[in-house]
Amino acid sequence: MMIKTTKNKSGQKQKSKISPFAKNKSGQEELIGFVLIIVLVAIIGLIFLGFSLRSPQKEIVESYEVESFIQAFLQYTTDCGNYRENYLPLQKLISACVDKETCLDERESCDVLNFTLTGMIENSWKVEGDRPIQGYELKIVLENGTEVIPLINNGNSTKNSKGVSQPFTPLGENYEVTFIVYY
Amino acid sequence: MVVKISLRSIWFAQAWSNQRTDSIAQNKKAQMKIQQMVFMLLAATLFFALVGMLLLALKFSGLKESATELEEKNALLLVTKIANSPEFSCGSAFGNLKTNCVDADKVMMLKKNIDKYDNFWGKETNIEIIKIYPEGNVVCTIGNYPNCNLINLQSKKINIEHSNFISLCRKNLINGEVHDKCELAKIIVSYKDWRENDD
Repeated sequence: MMIKTTKNKSGQKQKSKISPFAKNKSGQEELIGFVLIIVLVAIIGLIFLGFSLRSPQKEIVESYEVESFIQAFLQYTTDCGNYRENYLPLQKLISACVDKETCLDERESCDVLNFTLTGMIENSWKVEGDRPIQGYELKIVLENGTEVIPLINNGNSTKNSKGVSQPFTPLGENYEVTFIVYY
Repeated sequence: MVVKISLRSIWFAQAWSNQRTDSIAQNKKAQMKIQQMVFMLLAATLFFALVGMLLLALKFSGLKESATELEEKNALLLVTKIANSPEFSCGSAFGNLKTNCVDADKVMMLKKNIDKYDNFWGKETNIEIIKIYPEGNVVCTIGNYPNCNLINLQSKKINIEHSNFISLCRKNLINGEVHDKCELAKIIVSYKDWRENDD
């Protein structure tokens, strides 16, 4: 049995008895508290370690890819020509389509534009099977909102997308090319 | 006199005995403290050694990953800029200055003299240009150019890559007339994955 010595008001020593059971209980509580703190700190440390060790994931579609795609396809030399140029670049073919011109071989410029764009997009952004690309859409619209060619789209529209819109101001009417890739 | 001596001897004996008991107890306490200190030192040393080993292991396990990440960053930077570098870009050969336009004739000449560009774009880096539209699998050589689809600059087999769309332009001779011909292509910069290859 523990004996605790204390002093009373008159300064005389007084012995009080404390139960060892109570002391043990208080020790146990302290120990539990200590263990809890250790566990808490360890969990926080592990979470931070997990976050720091996590490597950044590579994007399925990068923004620069979509931007470059628009720039590259606009420079494509088509097999449609007019009296000025034997082979029009796609950007000029859009203007020809806006002006409802026909090619030297009597094909409609808009048909050639639609066919060429569809072929280029299908080859560049494949959506079938287990590919990460879920879908895409391309629209070319005039300033007043009229579509130059019907919307070219394939696959599904998902929440994740990367898109670019490129306005053009040629001599004729202004138009805008918008391309969105869903993944 | 005898009584006095005997009393004194008893007193001395008792004092000596008490002192001895005290000294044994003190020795025991000191030994205990030394033991405690030794255990504490051992535990501290072991703890720091283990932590050190863990840190070293972490640092060295991340080395290959860091190397691969650096290669990847280099490839990413390269793929976004390379089309506009003097070795590849069209310049004003096809009319106005164009962005992301690669001169195919220039690239073929570069392929011919690729030995002079050893490690120029990175030690474990390969550059390929593949035509997307129209599509095909014919590898370009000086003999079959321009009726081909794939220009492989360094002919290295590296699996991880970054790619970007470009316009691949060349001068095309049709019925005795020279026309500019631009096609849709992809430039692929591949780099080494140090995590997979231990050599």
